[in-house]
Amino acid sequence: MNTQRAHSSEFRLLVTPLVLFLLVFLGFPAIVNLIYSISDVSFETLRQPRITGLSNFAAVWNDSAFWQASWFSLRFGVLTALLECGLGLFLAIFLSPLIERRSWLMAILMLPLMVAPALVGLMYRLVLHEFAGPVPYYLWAWFGASFSFLGPTSAFWTLIVVETLQWTPFALLLFYMAYRAIPTEIVEASAMDGARRWHLLWFIELPLMAPTIVVALLIRFIDGFRVFDNVYVLTGSGPGGSTASLSIYIYEAFFKQGAIGKAVAASVILFAVSFAVLYGLNLIASRRKGAVK
Amino acid sequence: MINALRWLIFAIAALGMNFPILVTLATSFKSARELSTNPGLWVQAPTLDNYFAVFQVSDRLNIFLYLFNSITVAFIGTTLAVVLALPAAYAIARGKLGERTLLPFIVNLRAVPLIIFAIPLYMMFQWLALLDTRLGLGLILSIVNLPLALVILVNAIRDLPAELDEAALMDGASRAQILLSVIAPVCRPAIVTSLIFGFITAWNEFLFGLMLTTSKAVPITVGASFFFAASGGGVQWGVASAVMVVGALPPILLGLIMYRQISGSMTAGAVKG
Amino acid sequence: MGTISLRQAGKQYGAVEIIKDLDMEIADGEFVVIVGPSGCGKSTLLRMIAGLEQTTSGQILIDGRDMTAASPVERKLAMVFQSYALYPHMTVRQNMGFGLKLARLSAGKIKAKVDAAADRLKLTPLLDRYPKELSGGQRQRVAIGRAIVREPVGFLFDEPLSNLDAALRVDMRLEIAKLHRTLGATMIYVTHDQVEAMTLADRIVVLKDGRVMQHGSPHELYQNPANLFVAQFIGSPKMNVLPCQRNGDGMLDLSGEGIVDLALSSSAAPVHLGARPEHLSLVAPESGHCRGTVEAREYLGGTTSVFVRNPKLGLINVSAPAETQFGIGETIGVRIDNSRLSLFDNTGTAVRTLR
Ligand SMILES: Nc1ncnc2c1ncn2[C@@H]1O[C@H](COP(=O)(O)OP(=O)(O)OP(=O)(O)O)[C@@H](O)[C@H]1O
Ligand SMILES: [Mg+2]
Repeated sequence: MNTQRAHSSEFRLLVTPLVLFLLVFLGFPAIVNLIYSISDVSFETLRQPRITGLSNFAAVWNDSAFWQASWFSLRFGVLTALLECGLGLFLAIFLSPLIERRSWLMAILMLPLMVAPALVGLMYRLVLHEFAGPVPYYLWAWFGASFSFLGPTSAFWTLIVVETLQWTPFALLLFYMAYRAIPTEIVEASAMDGARRWHLLWFIELPLMAPTIVVALLIRFIDGFRVFDNVYVLTGSGPGGSTASLSIYIYEAFFKQGAIGKAVAASVILFAVSFAVLYGLNLIASRRKGAVK
Repeated sequence: MINALRWLIFAIAALGMNFPILVTLATSFKSARELSTNPGLWVQAPTLDNYFAVFQVSDRLNIFLYLFNSITVAFIGTTLAVVLALPAAYAIARGKLGERTLLPFIVNLRAVPLIIFAIPLYMMFQWLALLDTRLGLGLILSIVNLPLALVILVNAIRDLPAELDEAALMDGASRAQILLSVIAPVCRPAIVTSLIFGFITAWNEFLFGLMLTTSKAVPITVGASFFFAASGGGVQWGVASAVMVVGALPPILLGLIMYRQISGSMTAGAVKG
Repeated sequence: MGTISLRQAGKQYGAVEIIKDLDMEIADGEFVVIVGPSGCGKSTLLRMIAGLEQTTSGQILIDGRDMTAASPVERKLAMVFQSYALYPHMTVRQNMGFGLKLARLSAGKIKAKVDAAADRLKLTPLLDRYPKELSGGQRQRVAIGRAIVREPVGFLFDEPLSNLDAALRVDMRLEIAKLHRTLGATMIYVTHDQVEAMTLADRIVVLKDGRVMQHGSPHELYQNPANLFVAQFIGSPKMNVLPCQRNGDGMLDLSGEGIVDLALSSSAAPVHLGARPEHLSLVAPESGHCRGTVEAREYLGGTTSVFVRNPKLGLINVSAPAETQFGIGETIGVRIDNSRLSLFDNTGTAVRTLR
């Protein structure tokens, strides 16, 4: 009856396709996930899952590989996020006088972001190869020694470096934008107040960039935590499952072991935890906003 | 003095971060013979043989198919995402519809490990006969692209003055007409950005390609790994490098041409979302 | 035809009432200007009439038909926005023709109407340009052109000139006045600008906190403000308001500073005396109604504003001849033209009991 109400029904029509699409391609899988996670199911009995309660969750809970994968993902996410953001912050601030005048420098630094992580992983197979790879070659040539980058003790750290080198540009880019967005008046005002370069950085610039730093840490942690592509192509999950991330754990449970119930139960756990964490973060973020206003 | 130091640091960073790309590029121009003697960065006798080999179609390897698949699925995954996101973004930005529910949900989706939906999707695709089809993979890639497209478009529409809509309402346009003849043309830069961004993301996707395709719809990211297991006697590094260069080139070129827009929207997606 | 009536119209955002039970009758062809302090609900009221904002209570009638729930087009009104809101991706011609195209007019008809409107507004040479290639004044004319091609029964303007510089504002004001004369359409016009309000309006409506404080012709509002708020809001520079009370003789006592000889009816109890600066004059200290010291002088070209400080009455602004030569700090008398002053009781309502 009312104009406003007529508007909102028009708007509702406009979101409908998206909502339907999400219901089909995410809602339905989510339900399937839930049902299968409490069922005894194999590839042969896909259509007649037998509800068995929480035994799948128990299996996951008691699987040491699950905990190993969780530990890997957590460590990997935290370490790469810290390294990428630390390095990115340093480069953004230190190189900003160069980039300001020549923006193509940023284009060069951004290149790794354009390449598929899976391909980067494959590239490192070449880079680190003991006969064909330049890194071992130069190490032999200059130091007369090299070591096994993908061996049991070093694989984790190699993966950290691979991930960090590819995604530092992301943090660098965010920080550079945030750095450039600091109003010059503020910088000039603090100079009038007698701030030295170091003070300026510590008391003015970093606090102003703090929200961006938090966001970058968060995004990089999430991406590191759910890592799949480059790790999978570079080390599989080896040696001895030591580099299986949670994503790889689920993938292998499903495709290699055919343990559908276990894989799905692990998915549900991951789903619940990620949404709980994200929801909590959103809540904190909106509280903050409210407090600032 | 300090400037020289800056240049030095820049050179180290650029070299370090682009190192695998440079190595791959160099290796792709080395002959098989040179490869066994010279693993270094310098190419002594550049040759295009590896590229000829890559573009040789055999019954096991068909790079044309992989490239065609990647283009098709990226196209579907990108346009579908934008086609779904644009009207929704308009309703969210102007109708305040789902601003506190749908929008954060979809934005969070960007942060959820997508593997958790992969298994039921695999089964669903099996029932729908969408496994190993370009359409099936394209549909999934549009889910991957949705969050960023939505954030970019919602921000773009929010930045437009509401009076523009109101003028069109006074002119007698319906919401759908406003969207098509006013909002969409005015937001063209944002739409182009989300298309490019989506294309790069979709092209570079690996996990779903690995899970949902086996032969007919294999994208280049997965197809490239086939070249590593090509012949019985170990990896032919030259050919493998050439295929990686071919696979990495389209997004790199797109990225270099459009890097300004991309850098802008990366911050948008990250900070405002 | 273009009569617009509001019957007890109201607007609420949640619990906040922005427009309160507003009644208004606008005759066909009338030019009504709505003024009021910022945030009083002028834009909201205009947008309710336009159909852009939902009316939460009461009715809006256009040409006698209830349009409270009708969509903007059904109301056959056109609106000109402060920011012009031109479609940036369309040429001037497309901008002006967009509404007609949506109404499914033939291309030939659209062209004819757009050409006619462009001719009237001297936009013909600009028809193929994009909005970003136009000056502010030209954009404003296109926005008006877009409004007139649809031949609406009424026009709504929301501060249409406030983004223009002063000289252009005068030109456009005259142009709008001319447009109103030639089209004879109903116009409702929101503005902050005193001069626009006074010069354009058949009738001014003064709004405060979503209520009509007074409406009437510019002359009426200026000469006989119904209350203290209107008295101070209309007129620039502002009316002086001096505290006063009636004394035993039924005369007006200016807080003991002087007596204004004015017979008051027995029931009147004024406590504020309002006098416009131009109705005051500077005289020798002993011959004024009150006296004070000159605190500041502002030379305005045609006149000089002299600010006289009286310890009990406050600062009094007197509009004196330009060449007035009183020194700062000088003691001086102020004379009040007792035929032109306004009186208000303690609720701020005008006391109309002058004899
Ligand atoms: N969407 C809304 N939700 C809640 N309150 C609103 C909304 N829009 C406007 N208001 C409030 O309604 C009141 C009137 O706003 P309106 O824009 O009509 O004022 P105005 O008289 O046009 O002011 P100005 O002269 O500054 O343009 C204001 O107090 C404003 O804060
Ligand atoms: Mg307003």
